[in-house]
Amino acid sequence: MSTPATPPTPPPPAAPEKKTLTIVFDGKPVEVPPGINLIEAAKLAGIEIPHFCFHPRLSVVGQCRMCLVEIEGIPKIQAACTTPLKEGLVVRTTTEKVRDSRAANMEFLLINHPLDCPICDQAGECKLQDNAFGYGEQRSRHDERKRQYAGYDRTMIGPHVIADMTRCIQCTRCIRFCDEIAGTGELTFLDRGGRTLVWTHDGKPLANDWSACAADVCPVGALTTKEFRFRRRVWDLNKTPSVCPGCNIGCNISLETRDAIVYRFLPRLNPEVNDYWLCDYGRFLSESLNVREISKATAREGAEVRTLIVPEAIERIASEIRSVVDSDGPSALFFLGSAHLSNEENFLLRKIADHLGCDNRDVVVDRSRTRRMKSKTEWLEGDHAGANYAGARDMGLAPRAGGHGLDDVLSGRWTPRAAIIGDGAFAAAADEAGSVDRLRGAGFLAVAARTETALSRVADVVLPAASLAQKEGCFTNVQGRVQRFERAFLPPPPIRAHWELFLLLATALGWGDRNWTPADIRALIREEVEGYGDVTEEELAGGGLMRKGLFVSTGAL
Amino acid sequence: MTFEPVLLARVGRDRSQDIDTYVADGGYGTLRKVLTGGGTPESVTEEVKKSGLRGRGGAGFPTGVKWGFVPKDTKGKPVYLLCNADESEPGTFKDRLLMEADPHQLLEGQILSAFALRCRTSYIYIRGEFFHGARVLVRAIEEAYREGYLGENILGSGFAHDITVHRGAGAYICGEETGLIESLEGKRGQPRIKPPFPAVFGVFGAPTIVNNVETLCCVTHIMGRGAEWFAKIGRNEKNTGPKLYCLSGAVNRPGVYEAPMGLQMKELLFGPDFGQGMKDGRKVKAVIPGGASAAMLTPEEIEDCPLDFDGLAAKKSMLGSAAIIVMNEDTCIVDAATNLAKFFSHESCGQCTPCREGTPWLYRVLSRIEAGEGRMEDIDLLEKISNQMANGMTICVFADAAIAPVLSSIGKFRDEYRYHVENKRCLVGSRTAAAVIA
Repeated sequence: MSTPATPPTPPPPAAPEKKTLTIVFDGKPVEVPPGINLIEAAKLAGIEIPHFCFHPRLSVVGQCRMCLVEIEGIPKIQAACTTPLKEGLVVRTTTEKVRDSRAANMEFLLINHPLDCPICDQAGECKLQDNAFGYGEQRSRHDERKRQYAGYDRTMIGPHVIADMTRCIQCTRCIRFCDEIAGTGELTFLDRGGRTLVWTHDGKPLANDWSACAADVCPVGALTTKEFRFRRRVWDLNKTPSVCPGCNIGCNISLETRDAIVYRFLPRLNPEVNDYWLCDYGRFLSESLNVREISKATAREGAEVRTLIVPEAIERIASEIRSVVDSDGPSALFFLGSAHLSNEENFLLRKIADHLGCDNRDVVVDRSRTRRMKSKTEWLEGDHAGANYAGARDMGLAPRAGGHGLDDVLSGRWTPRAAIIGDGAFAAAADEAGSVDRLRGAGFLAVAARTETALSRVADVVLPAASLAQKEGCFTNVQGRVQRFERAFLPPPPIRAHWELFLLLATALGWGDRNWTPADIRALIREEVEGYGDVTEEELAGGGLMRKGLFVSTGAL
Repeated sequence: MTFEPVLLARVGRDRSQDIDTYVADGGYGTLRKVLTGGGTPESVTEEVKKSGLRGRGGAGFPTGVKWGFVPKDTKGKPVYLLCNADESEPGTFKDRLLMEADPHQLLEGQILSAFALRCRTSYIYIRGEFFHGARVLVRAIEEAYREGYLGENILGSGFAHDITVHRGAGAYICGEETGLIESLEGKRGQPRIKPPFPAVFGVFGAPTIVNNVETLCCVTHIMGRGAEWFAKIGRNEKNTGPKLYCLSGAVNRPGVYEAPMGLQMKELLFGPDFGQGMKDGRKVKAVIPGGASAAMLTPEEIEDCPLDFDGLAAKKSMLGSAAIIVMNEDTCIVDAATNLAKFFSHESCGQCTPCREGTPWLYRVLSRIEAGEGRMEDIDLLEKISNQMANGMTICVFADAAIAPVLSSIGKFRDEYRYHVENKRCLVGSRTAAAVIA
């Protein structure tokens, strides 16, 4: 039963250069841009062509044979992924022949598959499951022993990735990822025919900086990560669009949580930043978001540490600031922002300094090892430990003329009377005794923090601050791209987002409105910060920064 | 008129592989005539086209037409000629004989073909197991360099050519031309997606022609004696030239035989110059006419069965590599099919799902039937599995080859399969279920 095809409209003779191609899918002519794959073109037409081995960023190998379609003028059934797009191509995806070939491929793929979905981490985001439900038969006619891969099951093949070849469908996506994106080529096909398996060359581990992406591109449960294995069923997870806190590239991530616990980061498609990828370093910071060491406001009184309620703690800081201003003037204050804080938060710190007339403000320079990420078109490099160094600077956190910066404090040239440190984990330097001593030299030290650091241990007032998962905001990455991250869940009281704490402090000092939301703060940023006037809420909506509707979790690509 | 062997003319003579005997027999005279007598690449191609030569590797594609697929403008890329000497089709052993016994005949044909293709460098991709053949070829190539038939400025003509022998690593699939190309490039031997075809994008991304050993040997003689002479040999104008037949199995005198294209199957099996009849007077049960991937024929079908491309296509089989495997009445057809299925299951490259999963499945079901544990529905199942493996389901035609023995044996000997299932043992032959299990 084939769908009658509408003949393609022939291109008008000597027409000016056409920007699109007309492809007829199941009788429906659709305009598609040239240069894309037929599978992607079908998607634009709202037609799903099931596939396993095709991936938009990897070379086309045409070997899973799941995407078979009928092409007018070619008697044999054709793989859609290897069929070049051309004007007037007539594609049929609903014929009996196509249905039979899909069912046949599903049967072949499943005869040796263990069907161990109940204990497989991929279940729920498995292309084999999806396509079996969508295109397979209910029963298999295979009644032989299934293939086993003794010695190649449940084995760590690198620091993060666990391979189980009994589940593998030999699509080679992981091999192509290592060859073509990472450029490291750790994986290869071994043996041939029904014994073909994917493994590492000579036991050399799969240890490139993006190794877990091999598990991402794996359409089945053959490659999984040690870190996420057996922790949660994926359909239990809430997905929140967020930005990786690992460095200033600002890779887009899906923050996957349940019951106020962060379970994993997955890359979130953004062709201009991290494309479909995420580095291992950033990905496995997810667990660190669950660390909570400071969960109440405290104040040091002599040798004693007293628990306060947050408004009390804020008032204590505000009164200290007021008394310093009264006695020594605002130039005895010091405000230190952080690359780990959002634009909104850094902006509030600066506004407090402005309000008080304090010129001493700065951001910690927290350099890290260079991290690399491949966007669709280029390699990006990040070398700051915080995601928002550029944003913190943009928000105006640099010493004003005549003011002092962090260097002055750390070198001992200048000591503030009171220092407000935006984030306790502001740098590796926070744990260095020398730096801490210098900062501690200030008469009064207030810190907002989530984890214990050498700095938080000696501060006069410590405020309990939210993690990335517990707040919303924007980071500006190394490209100058403003990206929004959303809140996955609320912090338990009395923990608050940094911006809430700063806003409380600001209002206590007589500036701002405590009912403001991050959106209200962003409105101020648009008005006051150069270059941020165009960053509208619409552009930031959905967490996908300036690009709408691209929220795709690559886990189920 | 008796047929004088052409390709095998020198086989069996003393020191037939040496260059001095080859030259004494008139060898390399054709090369000299073409290169120094005003021959042009176009004239060689034209002559090969006129001869009607069809590729001897299996597909039977007209050689001259294939050469014509190389683009006129190669955009600065070199053209490569690859000699496919990866003779791996079960039952085939003709190219091995040609290479081991008369290597210069191949080299001369290869240099002539390279001249026609404006090819500077060509390769002989030889099956890894043909160690002796590779040694003979390397030595012959050294001789040819020494005598000026290879290298710079061959015979003062200005034409330069180099030939390199490359040994395969033991994969049947590397006989498929794009699998061969991948393997020659040092990669895993697995066929490529086509298009682009090798004539446009072949080895190292350059235009490439892949020709079989016997095909290239034929070129030597076409250029030596003329296309007309060649075209007159054979059953009709579509099936021309001398042909080597590899006869094996239950006949009195198996071996490589040369005859005009279109030799009658009965003549090959029973003729005094050929097989000389069935061994021990047994009856023919089935014949595979073109290597393991050709559908088997029944005794009725081999009556009036010309062994050429079209003659066998008419019987829904194929000439393939002209490997005629004769099975007698004592052969269990299920056993034979199981054996072939095992071969294909072992040799699938594993990239395409239907072939990677289907070939072992066929083998497992067949061996179960052979072991006396078959069910009646298994017979239909075998056909269904086969039918969902081929005809475009895969990148190359390996799967189409793998199902041919299964489908043809079931189609023609279904009763024997049924007997096997019902009685849990072979209808004939000694491989009872008990013997297999033990």
